[in-house]
Amino acid sequence: MKSLYKHILIIGLVVIIAAGNVFAQKNKKKTTRISVEYVKDHNKTETLVAKLRVKEKRYISLNDAIVKFYSVSDTSVLLDKIRTNKDGEAIFVIGDNPKIFKDSLGFMAFEVEYDGSTSLKGSNKKIAVKQSNLEVSFFQKDTIKFIEVEANEIGGNNQTSPVKGLKVLFYVKGTFSLFNFAKEKTDNKGKIKIEFPVTMPGDTNGELTIVAKVEEDDIYGTVESMGEINWGIPVPLVKEKQRGLGDTDAPLWMVYTLITLLSAVWFHYLYVIFMIIKIKLAKRSF
Amino acid sequence: MANKKNKHSRRQFFSKTVPVAIGTIGGVGLVAQSCQQANNDEEKISLLSADGQLVEVNKSALTKVPYKPVPPDEARKGIPGKHFVMVVDLARCRNARKCVKSCDHHHQLTPDRPFIKVLRMQDNKTSAPYWMPKKCFHCDNPPCVKVCPVGATYKRSDGLVLIDNERCIGCRFCMAACPYSARVFNWGEPKHQDGDRPYSPETSIPSQVGTVEKCDFCPDMLRQNKVPHCITACPNGALYFGDRNADSVTNGSETVRLSTLLKDKAGYRYHEELGTEPNVYYLPPVDRSFPFKEAPEGQPS
Amino acid sequence: MIKNENISDEQFNQKVEKDLLAHLTVNQKRNNIFIFLLIAIVLVGMFAYYRQIRYGLIVTSMRDYTSWGVYISNFVFFVAISLVGSLISSMLKLSKATWSTPLTRISEIIAIAAIFCASIIIIVDMGRPDRFLNVVIYGRIQSPILWDVMIISTYLVISILLLYLSLIPDLALCRDKLTGVSGVRKWFYRVFSVNWKGSPEQYKILHSIIAMLSIVVLPIAFAIHTVTSWLFSTTWRPGWDSTNLGPYFVSGALMAGAAVIIVAMYFIRNVYNLKEYLTDKVFDHMGKLLVLLSLIYLYFNINEYLGPAFKMVGVEGEHIIELFVGKYAGMYWAVQILGLILPIVILSFAWGRKPLPMLIISMLALLGAWFKRFLIVIPSLQHPYLPIQDVDESYRHYIPTWEEWAITFASFAACLLIITFLLRVLPAIPIWEMKRGVEPKSQEA
Repeated sequence: MKSLYKHILIIGLVVIIAAGNVFAQKNKKKTTRISVEYVKDHNKTETLVAKLRVKEKRYISLNDAIVKFYSVSDTSVLLDKIRTNKDGEAIFVIGDNPKIFKDSLGFMAFEVEYDGSTSLKGSNKKIAVKQSNLEVSFFQKDTIKFIEVEANEIGGNNQTSPVKGLKVLFYVKGTFSLFNFAKEKTDNKGKIKIEFPVTMPGDTNGELTIVAKVEEDDIYGTVESMGEINWGIPVPLVKEKQRGLGDTDAPLWMVYTLITLLSAVWFHYLYVIFMIIKIKLAKRSF
Repeated sequence: MANKKNKHSRRQFFSKTVPVAIGTIGGVGLVAQSCQQANNDEEKISLLSADGQLVEVNKSALTKVPYKPVPPDEARKGIPGKHFVMVVDLARCRNARKCVKSCDHHHQLTPDRPFIKVLRMQDNKTSAPYWMPKKCFHCDNPPCVKVCPVGATYKRSDGLVLIDNERCIGCRFCMAACPYSARVFNWGEPKHQDGDRPYSPETSIPSQVGTVEKCDFCPDMLRQNKVPHCITACPNGALYFGDRNADSVTNGSETVRLSTLLKDKAGYRYHEELGTEPNVYYLPPVDRSFPFKEAPEGQPS
Repeated sequence: MIKNENISDEQFNQKVEKDLLAHLTVNQKRNNIFIFLLIAIVLVGMFAYYRQIRYGLIVTSMRDYTSWGVYISNFVFFVAISLVGSLISSMLKLSKATWSTPLTRISEIIAIAAIFCASIIIIVDMGRPDRFLNVVIYGRIQSPILWDVMIISTYLVISILLLYLSLIPDLALCRDKLTGVSGVRKWFYRVFSVNWKGSPEQYKILHSIIAMLSIVVLPIAFAIHTVTSWLFSTTWRPGWDSTNLGPYFVSGALMAGAAVIIVAMYFIRNVYNLKEYLTDKVFDHMGKLLVLLSLIYLYFNINEYLGPAFKMVGVEGEHIIELFVGKYAGMYWAVQILGLILPIVILSFAWGRKPLPMLIISMLALLGAWFKRFLIVIPSLQHPYLPIQDVDESYRHYIPTWEEWAITFASFAACLLIITFLLRVLPAIPIWEMKRGVEPKSQEA
C-alpha cells in the first residue's frame, strides 16, 4: 500500500508540473491501456465493462476519465460516453438499444475508446460477441441429485440454438468468493448434467447458491447464471444466549455459590452491627 | 495549511482520503495539500482531473469518504450464520511483512505496536527454521474473555473475539491470560490516530490510552463481504480466510474447501493442549515456496 | 508479663492503664519528624502517579510482555501482610495462646493499613482508573478479579470490625481517663465507645461477637490470599499454572505476617516504652512461630519448584533455568537463602530469638517476601509459549522506572502513616484484655 502512495505521489507531482507547463508539454505523454469485456450476469443484464489503466511502472486504474462506447458495423455509431469509476471501470448497459447493430450470424461488434488528455495518450479496443442464455436447473433421479445447465445462443434472427462444447464452470457462492467445484463442457444438446456434491454445507436451512459461469469466452464473453437450492448440509444455529465462564452471564451454580457465601459472611457483619447497637443501649447494671 | 502541519499530516491525510486519492490518479491527495489557495472563506483545492482539466473543489467535498462502522453495542452480535477462520500456509511465508504493513495502515498502528507479528520459529535445533505470521487466534474457548472483569472483551457468535475499548479498564488480566501473547496495550497516548472517526470495536479505531487492543479480523470488511486486509496484502497467498460453516476459505485468488485443505496439508493449531480451540490453523512448512532467509538487519526480532 | 505478682489486682490494673495510655498523650517530636518524612515520600509518589495519569502507563517499565510489574507484586505483598490480622487475632486466639494478647491490636491495625494499601495499589495499576465503576456496572463474576474485589472488601470490613470490637472498652477508658486531648478526639472516644460501661451484659455481648468473628475471619483470610493466587493460576502461564499456588501463597503470607508483626512490635516497644508488655518472652514465642511458618512455607516452596525443575517441560523449564541459574538467579537464591533458610536456622536458637536479632531476621524475611512476589510475577510473564520477537528491545526486560519505585515506596509510606496515625489515637495494646479480674462473669462464660 505504501508503495502505491509513493506512486500516487510521484504521478501527482508529474501531473502538477505538467499542468504548469501545458505549452511545453507534448512528447512525454503516458501510455494508457483499455480493455473491454462483455458480461451477462444472472439477472440477464448485459453490460460492456471497459477497464482503463495507465502505465506507471505497472498499470494502475485510471478513474474519472471518459470512455466512449461505439457500435461497429460498416460505420461506428456512438452509443454513450461514460466516466470510469474508482476501479477504472466504465460500465455500459446494453439493454434493447436500437443503435446496436447485429449481423446475420447474431454477432454484435463494439469499440471502446479513450481520447487521452494533455498528459495521457489515448487508447481503444474492439470486441465482438454473440448473445447466449445459460440456465441452471436442479433435478433428482432416484436418490441422486443433479445440477443441469443448458446453454443456447441467440442467432441473427433471434432464434435460439444449443451451444456445443462450451466450457462451463460451477461454483458455490461463499461469503467472500466463489468456490469452484466442477468444470464441464456442454454436450451436443448444449447441456451439462453433473452430480450435486452432497457434502457441501449450506446455510441454517441448507440453502445454497450454485453459480454456473462461462468465463471470457471468445464468442460469448462472460455469461453467468444462478440457482438456489436447499440441498446443502444445514449449519446448526448457534444459541446466542448462554451461561458460561466465557459468556456475559455467569453459570447459575456460580451465581448461587457466590450469593450463598457472601450473604453468609455479610449476615454475620450485620449481626455484629446489631449487637454493637445493643451494647450501646445496654442498661447500667451496677 | 501551515508548513509544520503539512509535514506530519501526510499519512493522516491519506488515511482519510484513501478512496478519493487512489481513485484519482492525477494525484488529488498531493495537489490538495500543496496547491491550496489561501485567504478564502471556503477552502478550495485545485485539482487536475484525468482529462487534463483544472478544476476547483471545496475541500470539504474532498476529504473523508463517510464511513459508518457499527456502534459498540451492535458489534457484540456476530454476523449471523458465520464462523470465521483463518489458515496460514507456513510453506508460503517468506517474512515479506506486507500483512503487517497493511494491518498497521488500516488500523492506524505505529510500528512499535503491530497486531501481527512474524515470528522466527524453530521447533528444535536440527529442524529448519520457518516464519510464522501470528495474529489473534480468536479462540473458541478464549482465556482472555473468561478473565475479563467487565466484559470489555467478548466472544461473538461468528467466532470473533473483539474488544470494546470504551469499556476496558486496563487491568491487563487478558494479556496475562492469553497464551499466544496476541494482545497489545496502549501504554501511552496512541499516535497517528484519526480521532474524528466514531469508535467501533469492529475497526479498533481510534485507540485509547490505557486500553488493550489486538487483531480483530477486520469485521468492518467482513460486513461488506470482504476478507481482512492482511489476506489481500499477502503477495504469496499464504493467508486464507473464510467461513467454517460454509467450509470454504480464500486467499484472494483461489478458493478452497477448508476441510480438504486441512486434510490434504495436515493443518494444525498452536498449543492444542491448552484447550483454547483457536480459529487460526497452520499448514506445516513443507515443500516451501521460498528458502528460509534470516530477517534483514534493523528489523526488530 | 509483669513480674511483680504480689501486687493486688487493683494496683496492677492501675499500672496497666497508666502505662498503656501513656503513649496517647506524650508529645513525640521524633514521631513528628518520622511522619513528615513519610508524607514527603507519599507526595513524591503522588507526583509520580500524576505523571502516570497524564502520560499513561508508558512512564512505567511495563510493556506488552511484562504487562504486570511491581505494582502487582506489591499488591500481592500487601495482601500477604494483611493476613497478620487473622493470624494473631484468630488463629492464636482460638488456640488459647495468651502470650499473643498484647499483639492483637497492632496486628489488626497493620492488617487494615495493608489491605487499604493493596486496594490503592491495584487502582494504580489500572490503565483506566477513571473507569473503575465499570467493575460494578458491567462486573462479570466469572472473572477472578471480581472474586478478588469481593473478597478484599469483605476482608477489609471484617478487619475493621475486629479492630473496632476489641477497641470498645479501651475507647471508653480513653473517654474516661484521658485529659488534655483535643476536642475532636474526645468526641471520637465518646461516640465510638458506644456507652460502654463495662457491665456484665456488655461484656457478654462483646465476648460472644468477638469469638464469632474470630471464627468467621479464618475462611475469609484463607480465601483472600487463595483468590489472589487464583489471579495467577487461572491463566495459561508457565510458572503460574500450578495447583500448589493457593497454599503456597497462604503459607507465604502467614510467614510474612509473622515477620511484619515482629518488626512492628520491636519499634513500638522501643518508641512507646512498652518493654514490660512486649516482653522478650513474646519475642521468643513469635520467633518460634516464625520458624514454624517458615518451615511450612519452605515445604510449599519445594513443592512449587521441584516438580517443574525435575521435568523441565518447554517454557516452564526455561522459566526454571532463568530463576535457578539465569537472569534472576541472584535474586532468587538471595530470597530463598536470606529470606527463608536463614530465619529458620537462626530463629531455631534461643539467642536468635532475642529482640534485635529477630528484628534483623524479620526484616530480611520481609524483604525476601517482597522480592519473592516480584519473582513470582515478572519472570513468568517473560516466558510466554510463543517466543518474544518482532518487538522493541525494551519489551524483553523489566527494570522498574523511578515512577514505579516512587509509587511503591509511597505505598509503604502510606501504610506506615496509617499505622502511625492509628497508634496516636488508639492504645497500642488492648488494655482491657491485659487487666486482671475485671470481668468475673465473662470468665465463667
